[in-house]
Formats: sequence, structure tokens, C-alpha cells
Amino acid sequence: MAQKTSSAPPAKPPLRLFYWILIVVALVGIAALVFLVVRARVGGSAALAPVQMDTTNLRAIYARATPETIGQPGAPVKLVIFADYTCPYCGQWAAQVQPRLVQDYVNAGKLQIVYYDFPLGSEGEHQYSFLAARAARCAGEQGKFWEMHDYLFGRQSEWSFAASTPVKTFEGYARALGVDQAKFDACLESERFADVVTANHLLGERLGVNSTPTVIINEKKIDDPIKYDVLQQVIAQSGGAAK
Amino acid sequence: MSAGAPAPGPAAGGGPAASWPRMAVATLALAGLLISAYLLLHRLGLVGRLICGAEGSCETVQSSSYAEFLGVPVAGIGLVGYLVMMAVALAGLQPQLAGVRRVSLVLLALSLPAVAFTIYLNALEAFVIHAWCRWCIASATIVTLIFLASLADLVLGHRPAADRRLT
Repeated sequence: MAQKTSSAPPAKPPLRLFYWILIVVALVGIAALVFLVVRARVGGSAALAPVQMDTTNLRAIYARATPETIGQPGAPVKLVIFADYTCPYCGQWAAQVQPRLVQDYVNAGKLQIVYYDFPLGSEGEHQYSFLAARAARCAGEQGKFWEMHDYLFGRQSEWSFAASTPVKTFEGYARALGVDQAKFDACLESERFADVVTANHLLGERLGVNSTPTVIINEKKIDDPIKYDVLQQVIAQSGGAAK
Repeated sequence: MSAGAPAPGPAAGGGPAASWPRMAVATLALAGLLISAYLLLHRLGLVGRLICGAEGSCETVQSSSYAEFLGVPVAGIGLVGYLVMMAVALAGLQPQLAGVRRVSLVLLALSLPAVAFTIYLNALEAFVIHAWCRWCIASATIVTLIFLASLADLVLGHRPAADRRLT
């Protein structure tokens, strides 16, 4: 009996058991994280709808809302546009009106265009609005926002009514634009920029935007922004006469 | 240093009774490390929507400007902090450092500012962002428990040495 008592194991086993438990917890945790990353990589979790955001917290909305701009920040006239990538009129604006504005006013340093996303919904004909807005932002992260903007508007019919979520279609557009494909795919197939697009939409709502495209020139809302002569007139009145 | 000459073997302040606070710190820090890694991966857009219950307040908090501190993601700060605390706690479990008071002091010095930073972050959630993130609350609980375990390590970790002086 006495021999048995003296040969009792020291305190090593509990420590060894502790290490094993720690290793198991670490492995389970790492496996869970890898699973979440892989799931996001295959597109299973691409954000298609706005995130929850406190609509009463204006400071948070303003802090998160982020426009994309073209033109000099010090230009005398600012044109703010809220647009949806599935809206045909926005497509018309992007294809016909904006290039003329860029040529006549932006390049001359007289106008800055400030673009905010205003996805009209996440169902029906606008079901991919939110994803498209995020796609443009993901390309923008690599300096190709306006290229993707033009691509999305120019090919609305290819993806607006697609039977399945056009994640791969947008990734194809990104490939054509020459962005870092892996980085773009990881961005699109995640929640990235869901908060920014949501905040941009909430900002628009706060400003009374209820249709697209909504164009505001130096704080004046334009009733018919598709008409170039109307825009010319307002820009001239706002101190940005054409060249 | 009270533990300057620990008796060799498991009873020298490094036995299971004396080392449980450091085990607790290491385990808690690992849990915090995994949570921080998850939030950081989300911040980098590498995981999907945060698993956060129906109300989705995690997105509100994580997408706020306060998810960064001096330009660094808060989750990244947490990740580094937990990693350091876990490394110190695990090192403190090694026989040559078991019962060493300096390790206890380092753990306390690491966990005290972590608690202060957590209080600041929770105050932001309560009074500025007006939203609570479950993962942040879990991390705050872990940090608090690490602090208490570090305190216990300082107090209990040297009792054997004191006892030896009495006998």
C-alpha cells in the first residue's frame, strides 16, 4: 500500500489534459473559421439586401454613406445623383447624359459628379440592385468604380432578370476590366460594402429621394434629369457655364 | 521575489491548484482570439453575414466608424491582445516560470488596459451607436474574466511560497 502511495503520478497529467483541451478548442475554432471563409468564397453569402442599420442614428448614416466622385472637388457646381443599376432611366443617364456632362463640364473643372447608390429594392425587377451596387463598390476598391458602373448599366439586360443571382456574371465583368480577380470575388461574395450601400440608400431617403435617377445640382432637385438642355440651364445658372 | 526559489516539482507554485488561473487565462484568451479573428475576417469581407441572431445589431456595430480605432480595426487590436495574453499565460505554465510573480504582473498589466478599452467600446455601443453586438459582449465578458483570473493568479499563485515561509 505504501508503495502504491509513493508512486502516485505527479501533477503533469492535468496540465497535459489542459493542453489537449486547448488544442481541440483551437482546432474546432479554426475549422469553423475556415468553413465560414470557404462558404463565403463559393458565393453562398454574397449580400443581396441591405443590412440592419439604425435609421434614427443620422450621424452613423452620414459617417458610413460614401459617394464615388468624378471631377475636381473644388468645382463650382456639384451634381449629386442617386441611381439604381436596374433602373432603365439610370442606364440611359449613364450612357447618354453623363458622358456629355463629363466632356462639357467635368473635364473643364466646372462640375463634379457625386454618385450615391439608391437600390430600389431587393425583390422582383430590382432583386439584384443591391448586389450590383456592391459589385461597383468592389471594383471601386481597385480603382475601377466608373468602369464597372458603365459596364453594369450598359449590360442591364444581361443580368437584371437573370434566373439566378448574377455573382458569376459580375465576376466576369470584373475580369474583363482587369481587376485583381481573387480580391474582387472575395469582396463580392461577402458582406463587403453592404453597409456603405445601405447607408447611401438611407441618406437618399433622408434627402427625400423616392425615385431614380434623382439628380440634385447645388441643392436644387432636377425634375427631368434625362434632358440635357435642362441640366445645361441649371448648371449655367449655378455658375458653371459651358466652355 | 517571493517565488525566487521554488521547490522543484509540481508543488512549486506550478501545480494544478496554483496554475488554474493561468490555465483559465489561456483558455479564455483562446476563445477571445477566435472571436476577434471572426470579426476581423468579417471586417475584411472574407466571411459572410455575421452570425448574430435575428436583430442583426452586430452589423450595425461592425459597420460603424467606431469599428476602427486610430485607423486600425478594433477586432485586429483584440486579436493581437488575446494572442499576447495567451502566449504569456502558456509561458507562465512552464515549470521554470510557474509561480513566478512577474508573469502574474504582466498578465495583470495586459488585462487591465484591455478592460478599460472594453468599457470604452461598450459605452460607445450603449450611448453612441445604440446597438449591441453579441460578439462584442462575449469579448467583453472574456476580457473581464481574464482580468479576474489574472488577479487570482497574483493572489493565489504565491500562496505556496508564503506557506513555505510559515513552516
